[in-house]
Amino acid sequence: MNSFQYVTPRNADNAVSLASDGRFLAGGIDVLGEMKDYIVSPRLLVNVKGLPGTQDIVVGGEVWTIGANVTVAAIEHHEDLKRVFPGLQQAAAEVGSPQIRNVATLGGNLAQHSRCWYYRQRDLRCAKRGGDTCYARDGENKYHSLFSGGPCISPLVSNLAVALAALEATVVVRRGGKDVTLTIPELYQKAWDEVTAHNSLGPTDLMLRIQIPNAGRRSAYQQVSEKAIFDWALVSCAAAAKVDGRKLSHARVVLGAVAPIAYQVEAANELLEGKELDDALAARAADLILKDADPLAHNGYKVPIAQALIRRTLNQLVA
Amino acid sequence: MLSWPTNPTVIGKYTPRVEGPSKVTGAAKYSSDVQPTGWLYGMIFRAPWPAAKVTRINLDRARKVRGIKAVVAVRDGERTIRFYGEELAAVAGTSKQACLDALRVIEVEATPLPFAVNEELAKRADAPRVWPDTPNLSEPNVREKGDVDKAFADAAVVVEGFFTTQIQLHQPLETHGNTISVTNDGITCWASTQGVFSVREGLASHLNVSQEKVRVITDNMGGGFGSKFGPGVEGGLAAQLSKIAGAPVKLMLTRFEESLAVGNRPSSFQNIKLGATADGKLVAFEMNAYGTAGIGAGTATAGGGGGAGFPAPYIYPVPNTRVKQAHVAVNAGEGRAFRAPGHPVASFGMESIMDELAVKLNMDPVELRLKNDPSEVRRREYTIGAERFGWKQKYKPPGSSPGTIKTGVGCAGATWGGGGRGTQAEVQINPDGSVEVRCGTQDIGTGTRTLVAIVAAEVFGLSPERITARVGDTQFPPSGGSGGSTTAASVCPAIYDTCTRALAELQKRAAMDDVHGSNWKGACKKLGVNPLVVHGEWQEGLSSSGAAGVQFAEVEVDTETGFVKVKKVLCVQDCGLIVNKLTCESQVNGGIIMGLGYALYEQRVMDSATGVVLNPNFETYKLPSFADIPEIEVVLLDLPERGVIGVGEPATIPTAGAIANAVANALGVRVPSLPISPARVLAALGKIKPTGAAA
Repeated sequence: MNSFQYVTPRNADNAVSLASDGRFLAGGIDVLGEMKDYIVSPRLLVNVKGLPGTQDIVVGGEVWTIGANVTVAAIEHHEDLKRVFPGLQQAAAEVGSPQIRNVATLGGNLAQHSRCWYYRQRDLRCAKRGGDTCYARDGENKYHSLFSGGPCISPLVSNLAVALAALEATVVVRRGGKDVTLTIPELYQKAWDEVTAHNSLGPTDLMLRIQIPNAGRRSAYQQVSEKAIFDWALVSCAAAAKVDGRKLSHARVVLGAVAPIAYQVEAANELLEGKELDDALAARAADLILKDADPLAHNGYKVPIAQALIRRTLNQLVA
Repeated sequence: MLSWPTNPTVIGKYTPRVEGPSKVTGAAKYSSDVQPTGWLYGMIFRAPWPAAKVTRINLDRARKVRGIKAVVAVRDGERTIRFYGEELAAVAGTSKQACLDALRVIEVEATPLPFAVNEELAKRADAPRVWPDTPNLSEPNVREKGDVDKAFADAAVVVEGFFTTQIQLHQPLETHGNTISVTNDGITCWASTQGVFSVREGLASHLNVSQEKVRVITDNMGGGFGSKFGPGVEGGLAAQLSKIAGAPVKLMLTRFEESLAVGNRPSSFQNIKLGATADGKLVAFEMNAYGTAGIGAGTATAGGGGGAGFPAPYIYPVPNTRVKQAHVAVNAGEGRAFRAPGHPVASFGMESIMDELAVKLNMDPVELRLKNDPSEVRRREYTIGAERFGWKQKYKPPGSSPGTIKTGVGCAGATWGGGGRGTQAEVQINPDGSVEVRCGTQDIGTGTRTLVAIVAAEVFGLSPERITARVGDTQFPPSGGSGGSTTAASVCPAIYDTCTRALAELQKRAAMDDVHGSNWKGACKKLGVNPLVVHGEWQEGLSSSGAAGVQFAEVEVDTETGFVKVKKVLCVQDCGLIVNKLTCESQVNGGIIMGLGYALYEQRVMDSATGVVLNPNFETYKLPSFADIPEIEVVLLDLPERGVIGVGEPATIPTAGAIANAVANALGVRVPSLPISPARVLAALGKIKPTGAAA
């Protein structure tokens, strides 16, 4: 990698003011990988890992908060989170390997950059890296998106984003001098709109914590990968709903690894409202979610996987 | 003539590796761990184009990078680049970062040329040529016997299929490379190699020095699988850098580089037609096949070359056969010998069509094999294996398993040659009773060092831990490369001969009839001051060739997601006299796991448009992890009368075929291509349109 400076700020404002010249560093799983591959070469790394308040999990009450620097492993093994937001815990348990989960943070998982193998290829400069071409669209696109808004078809691969979207979590971001709150859709909207964007965060936007409303909803997460563990999801699915017997209310179904955003279709959420879940209903929800799927040459198989996952994840909610 | 003891006390038991404790504590030094005083990092500058005409390389700026001590171009003057990652230059410096910085300021003047990296495009007549004077697609190699057309016309049943296998990379956990010190006094090379003597020969010839000046050491080694016999381009460059810098240079490839230029298992595209009588006797076979070994096959080595050819109709004799096999050159790294070269490719195609035939005949697949397999050993193994596996209970008509997650079973067979050959050894018995056995073989991770200790311990009536086995050094008596499953059959007889001679000599010197076990120390004491050193060598009659094996696989396939879970693999394997059951079973386990990777996960992915490798890492070049590995049951036929036979290769051959047949049995439709990915399972089930080149 290219040489860089390293600084540990005292507080969030201090971090934000330094970051205009560099990148935030927390677990480092993603940014160090990009630096080693010369995809990015920041002049300064701003170590935010130890910022006050960003490593806490605050439970109880109507809104639970998880600091941006809480490790994925800490989420995976937190008994209260496991009980109240099982979908989040299941998503965390599928991230990388135990070694990665021990180091990777919630904020880093949400803000991670594209895993597209063209984007990561050291001798290519794809559109996401400022080049002219998306090589994936007419190339080897088995891992790419079924839905896209712009030229980049690299999908969002954060497991946690998918689970948190279903739980309608929000992200508190220090932007400029103040804290702003983004929904998960807002956190990724820019990746849908702009080819070079991985998410909606600007270079000096610092994630502080996420907030999850404890609305008495069940949640579930499932993914299918090529390998049993330590593999990216080909498709992931999270769902959350209030459940009365088999009757769902306030349901949210979200897909991952199929779009540059955590993909959901409001009509499907509405369809489920107040209804008893059965296979036919789940299949109709899946059809609504996948209605606009636009498979490429090699990723059509994601459609049947997504259908199965939507059905299974919804069934897991009522099980 | 020597013969193995009929009632051995050490041979054939479960003996832990003698170097085990040093490996688990980290004390064991691999070639990549060696750090001679003043060593420098070495790194290679590689072509970023799949094809180009290079007119000039300017290394001046690289030379000036702080910490850089040597810079060298692979070749001066104009040259043609034929694959992405071809070596252009190398640098050595005091830190890895210095080398990385230097690589980034090397200037190359080059004109990119048209290229073709994927087989189906490269074989078109109008495709850019990899080699200017030859079409990419070769004339087929034709082998024909009998009257094939008549035999098909007369056959009661004919089945046809098109099967494809991917490029598999060796991916040893220890990457390719060497630590080399070139001085006026001579050259020392710590090599990650399967052949210390072949590395010595390669280095001596590369540097134009006499072989006695070159010493090659391989103390511990992290896997090669056929791809590590010579010093390689990387070894030659490390030696040149060391010579220029006047310091040792450690040049180990990165994981990225492992995917580019150090070999692979060639791909195959196999059109197969098979005819049989109504009662299942094979009568006619026809194959039209091609595959690629990249820009060409690697240098032929022990265990076979790395070409795209493979045996057909593999283990089954068919009276009327017509086989046409061609190879197609592409702009990609060369093929090299890879654990049982050609055989897993052959087994997958042939065993797949055999099961298609069984289905059409409505015959049990094991029965079809018993009817056609000429090997008495393999027929016995099928019978033993079917019993242990519960084949009769588990085998159901294809696709008849109920529910969403379907189960299936399959089987496949394998053959391998192996055999022993010239190896020498020496034993030094010290007056204090300690024993050193020295042999210039190398332990590539398979347990060779432990075999040396076991055989010596057997002869002397000692326990293996009392033997110091020294291997992996060209200063020891010569032994061949560890390839072709020849090592155990070469080394064990040599150690046995050497130790038997030493035992006789010790009896004589000590004037004792029995110097074994409890008499050992007393006898050695009578040697006086000087140790006893005795030489010996490989002898006929203690080893043989020809290993037969069969495997059974049981799978679960999720028909909604395409996910395949292998539940169990059972292997029945013959490898003659088993010297150490523990390392033998370990070898078989490793072979099966590698076969599992070939069946389900592994594939080098090239990009047709840009010519680069898209998955040069373990993130997207997928290897089995623990959770993917099934229950493995290993049944070893112990046939001591056959002598020692290697087992490294045969165990990896039939795994993919057995798994593919199990998947087909579960689904009722076949996935005809490796790796069997969720995408391909769903395509076979008709749930999506078929995909192209990528899995």
